[in-house]
Amino acid sequence: MADMTRPQDHPDASKLEGMQHTKQYDFAIPEQYAFKSEKGLSKRVIEKLSYYKEEPEWMLKFRLRALEIAEKKGRPKWGPDLSHLNFDEIYFYIRPQDRKGTNSWDDVPEEVRETYKRLGIPEAEQKMLAGVGAQYESEMVYHNLKEEWEKRGVIFLDVETGMKEHPELFREHFATVIPPEDNYFAAINSAVWSGGSFVYVPEGVEVDVPLQAYFLINAQSMGQFERTLIIGEPGSKFHYIEGCTAPTYNSDSFHSGVIEIIVKDNANVRYSTIQNWSHNVYNLVTQRAIVHAGASMGWLDGNLGSKTTMKYPSCYLVGERAHGEVLSIAFATDGQHQDAGAKMIHAAPHTTSSVVSKSISKGTGRSSYRGLVQIHEGATGARSNVECDALLLDEHAKTDTYPYIEINEKTAHVGHEATVSKLNDEQIFYLMSRGLGEAEAMALIVRGFLDPIAKELPLEYAVELNRLIELEMEGSVG
Amino acid sequence: MATLVDNTALGADALEALITRLGDPAWLAEERRAALRTYDATPFPTARDELWRYTQLERFAIDALDLVERPVDATVPERISMRITDSDAEGVMVLKGGDVVHADKRITEAGVVFTDLRTAVREHEDLVRKHLYGVVSAGHGKYAALNAAFWANGTFLYVPKDVEVELPLGAFTTGDRGGLSNGRTLIVVERNAKVTFLDEYTSEPFDDRLVNTGATEIVLGDGAKLRYVSLQNWSRNVVQLNTIRAHIGRDARLESLTVSLGGDAARAQVEVRMDGPGSESEMLGLYFADEGQHYNQYTVQHHAADHALSDLLFKGALRDASSAVYSGVIIVDPKAQKTDAYQTNRNLLLDSESNAVSIPQLEIKANDVKCSHGSTTGPVPEDQRFYLMSRGLPPEVAEHVLVTGFLYEVMSRVTLPKVAEYVERVVQAKLGVPGVREKL
Repeated sequence: MADMTRPQDHPDASKLEGMQHTKQYDFAIPEQYAFKSEKGLSKRVIEKLSYYKEEPEWMLKFRLRALEIAEKKGRPKWGPDLSHLNFDEIYFYIRPQDRKGTNSWDDVPEEVRETYKRLGIPEAEQKMLAGVGAQYESEMVYHNLKEEWEKRGVIFLDVETGMKEHPELFREHFATVIPPEDNYFAAINSAVWSGGSFVYVPEGVEVDVPLQAYFLINAQSMGQFERTLIIGEPGSKFHYIEGCTAPTYNSDSFHSGVIEIIVKDNANVRYSTIQNWSHNVYNLVTQRAIVHAGASMGWLDGNLGSKTTMKYPSCYLVGERAHGEVLSIAFATDGQHQDAGAKMIHAAPHTTSSVVSKSISKGTGRSSYRGLVQIHEGATGARSNVECDALLLDEHAKTDTYPYIEINEKTAHVGHEATVSKLNDEQIFYLMSRGLGEAEAMALIVRGFLDPIAKELPLEYAVELNRLIELEMEGSVG
Repeated sequence: MATLVDNTALGADALEALITRLGDPAWLAEERRAALRTYDATPFPTARDELWRYTQLERFAIDALDLVERPVDATVPERISMRITDSDAEGVMVLKGGDVVHADKRITEAGVVFTDLRTAVREHEDLVRKHLYGVVSAGHGKYAALNAAFWANGTFLYVPKDVEVELPLGAFTTGDRGGLSNGRTLIVVERNAKVTFLDEYTSEPFDDRLVNTGATEIVLGDGAKLRYVSLQNWSRNVVQLNTIRAHIGRDARLESLTVSLGGDAARAQVEVRMDGPGSESEMLGLYFADEGQHYNQYTVQHHAADHALSDLLFKGALRDASSAVYSGVIIVDPKAQKTDAYQTNRNLLLDSESNAVSIPQLEIKANDVKCSHGSTTGPVPEDQRFYLMSRGLPPEVAEHVLVTGFLYEVMSRVTLPKVAEYVERVVQAKLGVPGVREKL
C-alpha cells in the first residue's frame, strides 16, 4: 500500500513513488560466468551444451532430433507478435560459476542473495518454507530439502542431478507429456533445455509444505529454457511453487520453459507460479499435466511481467473422474501482451474441469484469454466450466477472449462465460469519500477483483502478489 | 485434410459469356472482371485458416461443377407454392436457377423498389451501382469473390426515406438442377424507413449436387429499421455458402435471423458493422443438423461507433453424426466507447456421434464498454425429461418437447408467426414427431 499520508496534490507524488520502486527492481548484477555459449541456435551449440553437461548419449540425440523438428515446424502463425524475437541475438546456454548445488544459505552466491534481498523475499521464505531451490541462470545452485522428506522417498532435485541420480525414473517419464513434436517452442526447449526441477513423490506420500524453486534470469539476452518434470505417484499429495523475477535489461530476452506433470491415480498435485519477468522478456511456456483416474491437478498461473507471454497450462484428463483446474491472472501494462489461458482435454468419463481467468489491462496493455475445452466421445458425464473476467483500466487498454470449445459427447455439460468491464466510478468515488487517494482506491478495487485467486495462494505469495499489484498500479492516476 | 481445387470452367471465357448473356452495362462488367482477378489471386481456404479450421472443406468443393444458367422448367415447386400461401410475406418473388418464375409484388408504398437484381441493373442502374459490392466485396474471401464475379441474379429491395413498408416482403430462391449457382441480395433502407424481408432458400430434391453461394448486402441509413430473415431448407443434395453483411447507420436497427435446417452442408457468415452511434443489431440464429449435415456459422459484431448495441443469440441442436461450428467475434474499436455487446451460443447434443464446436470471441479495444459472451453445450436436461415423463409423456415425446422448446427461445423473439410455425414444423419433422411432414 502506498503511503496513506502522501500529499495528493503534489503533482510528482506518484512519479516519485514509482521511481523508488524502479530503483528497487531495475537492477543488473555484474555477470560472472564460467562458460557462455555462442549466440544463436545451431547443432554445434547443442553438441557443446550436451558435452559440458556430461549428458548420456540418448539425451544428445533427443536434443538434435528436437532441433530438426523445430526447424521443420517453424514459428506459430497465430497469437501475439513475435517478430522482434531474434534467435541470433540470444545465448541458448549459460552456466553459473558455481557448478554444484549447495545446501547452506551461506554458500549461495552473494549476487543471488542480494537479488532476493532487493525483492524483499528471503526472510519469510527461508523460515516458512522448507525447500528453496533457487535457479541462478540455467542451473540449480541451491537446494535445501527437509530431511524427513528424503526419508519418505521424496525427490526434489535440479533436473540435471535428477537425470544422473535417477536415470531410469527420469527416462521413463521425460518428454512423455510434452514431446518435442507438440509445438515449436516445446521443440526449441527440448533442444536446448537446461535447469529446472525434478520432483518425485512416492505412492501415498503427502507433503505439507510447498516445494518451491525460485528462478532468476541474469546475463543480457540470455535464454532460459528450464525443463521441469514432476511425478506424483498414486495417492500422493503436494504443492509445487515456482516464481520468477528478473532484473531489467536492454535487449529482448527469451524464456521458453517446459513443465511436465504426471498425476497418477488419486494423486493431488498443485503447481503455482507467478511470473514477473522484466518487461523485455518473451515468455513462451508449455505447461501440461496428465491426470489419471480420480486424481486432481490444479494450476495457478499468474502473469504480471514479461513483454509477451504465451502460456496455456493444460490438463489431459485421461482417467475416470480426473479433475483439472486452472486459476489464471494476467496483468498487462504499457507495451505488454499477456496471452494466457488454459486447455482442458476430457478423454475419460466423469472428468471435470474448471477454469477461472481474471485479467487486467492498463495503459496500452493487452491481455488475452486463449483456451480450449475438448470433450472426447465416450467421456460420458464430463463437465467443464470456464469463466473469464476482464477489467480495463484505461481508454487504450485492450482485451481479447478466444475460447475454443469442441464437444463430441452428448452427456457432457460445458459452459463458458466472459465479461468485460471497466473500473466502477461509483466504487472509486465511494472509497475516495472515505479518505483514500485515487490510486489507493483503484488498487483496492483491483485487489478485490483478483481476490478469488489470491486467496488460493499460500500467504507469502498472496502478500507478494498484492505488493506486485500495488507496484503496477503506481502512477496509474493522472 | 482435404484441399479444395479450382474449377477450370470458371475462367475469363465463362465470365465474358455471362456478361454477354446478361447484357451487363460496362461498369458492372468491369466489376465482374476485377472480382475474377481477385478470385484467381485468392487461394482456397485450408484447415490452417482460422476461420475454416473446423469446416469440412471437401463438402464445399466446387470443382467439376457447371454454372447454372437457367432452370430445367419454370414451374414453382410445390413446397414454395405451399409456403407462399402460408407465409408472413405478402409481396413474393420466386427465383429459380437465376430466372424469375413467379412475382407477386403487392406493394402500395411510393418509391419502394422490389425486383430481381438483373431488372434492377436495367431500371435502377444508379441506385444499384451506388450500393452493389459496397458491403460484401470480392475482397471478402474466395467464395465472396466467386459470387461477385459470377452472380446471375438475386433480389433488389430499396425503401426510400421515411417510408414504412407495412407488409413483409419475401424472395424464394430455388433450383432444379445440379451445378454452381450464385445469387445476390441487395437491400437498401434509407433514413427512417422501415421494412421486413424474408430470404428463403428451398428446393424439391433432385439428383445432382448443387452448390449455391449467396451474398446479402444490407445498407441501413440513419434511423432505418430492417427485420431480415435468411432461412435455408434446401433439399439434401444442396450445399450453401452465404455471406450476410450489414452496415448500420446512426440510431438504425437491424433484426436478423439466420436459420439452417436443410441441405447437405451450409455455411453462413453473418456480419454487422455498427457505423453510427446509437445503432442496434439483434442477431438471432437457429440450426438443427441431422443425418450427417454439417453447418458452420461465423459471426462478426464490429462496433465501429460509440453507444451502439449488439445482441446475438445462436442456438443449435445436433443428432445423427452431424456437426456444427459456431464461431463469432465481438470487435470493439478504440473509439467505440459505451458499447453494449452480447453474444450467446447454446448447443444441444442429442447423440455422441455428433460434434459441436463453439468459439465465442472478444476483441475489445475500448474500456467503457459492457461486453459479455457465454456458451454452453450439453444434453437434454435429465431432470426436465424426468419431469415430463412423470406427467405421462413417453421418453421420445419428452425429448421432442424439450428440443422444440430449446430452439423455440430463438423463434419467440421474432414477431413473424408463420415463419416461427414453419420452423417449428420442420424441426418436428426432423425429430420424427409422428404426423408431421415437411422433411426432405
